[in-house]
Amino acid sequence: MKLLKIENNQGYFLLENGEYETIDKLTKEEILKLVNQSLDADEAVEFDSIQDDNLQNQAHQIIYRNVLGKLRELFDRRDEYKDRSERLFLEEYDRYKADIADEKVGDTS
Amino acid sequence: MYVTQTRSKSDRNLHMKKLDFHMHTVATASDSDFSFSMEKLIEYVNSTELDAIAITNHNMFDSGQYAEIVSELAIDVFPGIEVDVDSCHILVIADPCRLPSFISAAEKVTNEIPDENSCISILRFQEIFGDLDDYLVIPHYLKKPEIKEATLGAISFAVTCGEVNSPKKFVRCIKDESQLVPVLFSDSRISSNLHVFSTRHTYIDCGEISLNAIKACLNDRSKVALSKEDGNNLFQVLSSGLKISTGLNVVIGARSSGKSHTLDLINKEQRRIKYIRQFSLVQTDEEKYRKEFESEVDGQQNRCVDDHLSGLRSIISEVVDIDLVSLENGVESYVDTLIRSAEEADRNDSFSRASLFSESEFSLGDDNSLTALISSTRQLIESIDFRSIIDKHVDQVDLKKLACELIDVLWENTEQRSRRAIANGLVVNVKRELAVRSSAIQISDVDFYEVALAHKKVERFCEVVKNVRSKCKIKETDVQGYKVIVRKEPFEGAQQLRALSQRNVAFSNAMSVYDKPFDYLLELKKIDGLRDADFYRYFVRIIYSVENSDGFPVSGGERSEFRLLQNISDAQNYDILLIDEPESSFDNLFLKGNVNALIRDIANIMPVVVVTHNSTVGATIGADYLLLASKEKADDNFEYKIYSGHPTDKILKCEDLSETESYVALMDSLEAGHETYEIRRAGYEVIKN
Repeated sequence: MKLLKIENNQGYFLLENGEYETIDKLTKEEILKLVNQSLDADEAVEFDSIQDDNLQNQAHQIIYRNVLGKLRELFDRRDEYKDRSERLFLEEYDRYKADIADEKVGDTS
Repeated sequence: MYVTQTRSKSDRNLHMKKLDFHMHTVATASDSDFSFSMEKLIEYVNSTELDAIAITNHNMFDSGQYAEIVSELAIDVFPGIEVDVDSCHILVIADPCRLPSFISAAEKVTNEIPDENSCISILRFQEIFGDLDDYLVIPHYLKKPEIKEATLGAISFAVTCGEVNSPKKFVRCIKDESQLVPVLFSDSRISSNLHVFSTRHTYIDCGEISLNAIKACLNDRSKVALSKEDGNNLFQVLSSGLKISTGLNVVIGARSSGKSHTLDLINKEQRRIKYIRQFSLVQTDEEKYRKEFESEVDGQQNRCVDDHLSGLRSIISEVVDIDLVSLENGVESYVDTLIRSAEEADRNDSFSRASLFSESEFSLGDDNSLTALISSTRQLIESIDFRSIIDKHVDQVDLKKLACELIDVLWENTEQRSRRAIANGLVVNVKRELAVRSSAIQISDVDFYEVALAHKKVERFCEVVKNVRSKCKIKETDVQGYKVIVRKEPFEGAQQLRALSQRNVAFSNAMSVYDKPFDYLLELKKIDGLRDADFYRYFVRIIYSVENSDGFPVSGGERSEFRLLQNISDAQNYDILLIDEPESSFDNLFLKGNVNALIRDIANIMPVVVVTHNSTVGATIGADYLLLASKEKADDNFEYKIYSGHPTDKILKCEDLSETESYVALMDSLEAGHETYEIRRAGYEVIKN
């Protein structure tokens, strides 16, 4: 799944419907979707890299570079983001879940 | 018939025997280490003129040492043991004629109580000793560890007397028929380090010394006493032999005659002493008095104020970091850039046309209320105290499901917030870079919700402060006839604030905006050395006052009296009360009217020793016993002597049998001599006429 691509000196990002939109139309909501996709992706995500002169639109370049850098980092470190050990109430949660499961077993037996 | 019933006092004195039936000669596991000294025991018995003793070591009887002691001493020595029974101590004293059976019982005790943490049950105690009537059985009674009622009940048939640890408790038991007959013993460790011999002994009116005769005496409270000649009116208080009354003692004497020294000696030799020293009741420093009042006299007051101001405290912590000025600036800058960007719309370029150029950030918010809700649910699940009530109304499993679902939401929110923060970071960076390249005006970001919330918080804070500052009474407590009142009112000047801070810093700027609570808070923040956590104390003035029964503020004298009352009520937890020169703290009218009565009252329940050279105290307090301290020349040196007697005795006597006239002593100590007294009296007569 390619989240960011470069074509005709323009940067594009992937929309939910599978189509691409130029990067200057990117909003914070769309950024959040890309962030989610990078972190939750089941398959590998891909990005076109900025080459010497493949993205000449200056405004596109600024946006593309920032977003690309961040999404790559997130995808590479997505396991760290999923670590639940620091979560609040983790111990209670696990204990209560176990109690609820025991109760169900008790009901059926 | 009348004659046979009434024995003369001297007759009775001949029969009075002095006993110490509780002493230790072996360092057992229950004692701190010491080594027994036979010389010391002989010295102790001789100097204290004991007529009989019992050897009572913890849970053991050393028959070899006992035989040695018997052969060394000229008085009767009884074999005994102090047994740990049901977490209390019971003395068992045997008839020397029944030594073999006592030794075998003591051996069983030793085997069954090998260390200081063990004890035997009262049933086992009875099994081991068999017929308790063969022994003299004395439990710790008004002495720690005290015997429990159930334990005493089980052996009450064999117990007639109980051990107490002070003359005060002895007298209390003697007066109260429902209590056991009291005995007071030294409980000394007889070691070479024993320098001050105990004065705790019991006299019994007993013709011959035998276990049965002693047991008979200890069954009759009229036959036990604290002193040889004076029944329970006097007791020995110093190892030098000095006796004082179990009621009110007055010590008089010239300056530097050893009055305070006598109190110091009593304080050193006796235990559980309440000592009210000279001038200690006077308090002239208002500020010190106030502080002492807050901290000591009623330590709960501070807590009361903290409770009262806790709401203010928490709202201060909510608003203390609000920066209204920078929030205003943010709004201004937003409006300004918005207008300019509209005006210069034609200047848009590829940078400013990008959506992110004018994008705002996600508002992140927090989950404080959700976290609190989870904590409350958790409390419902984990509560032990109210388990049955909670279970009656809500199913545990449902509560756990609720908690898990709420936690799921919390985690999801946390996750979302962290992802929004990432997006925000990107937005900020891209916006900054685009702005650098663009010639268009970028509209600055502002979180209107945050601005509105901050204003609302400040508004609310000002309302709360206004209410807190209203003048009113917070708390009123009755303490021994006085009212302790805590009030609050607005501060009136910067000086009051500075006094409260105890720092040399200026509060004048703050005080000038005292009417605008939020500005006032900002000014407080500028003052060096004031902690944020203490700001709440500077919003309203808390005033402590003590009023007398008429509702007026107390005078200096009443304040001292209040302190005396506090001290005296505390004295009831001690065994002897010593007061050094109460006249140093009170004027004569107070002494006569209030203080004397107070001291008299407490002397009804415990021995009190008052040192004075004030005639109002010395002559009118109604002493039970008079002590005259005197510094006298002996050979080349001076020696301190104490003459004593009842207030009506014409002669006061010293332990060394020397005597002095009571009248002269009183005149010299309280009235500056007979001559001055006569002149003064004549002077009063003239005015009166």
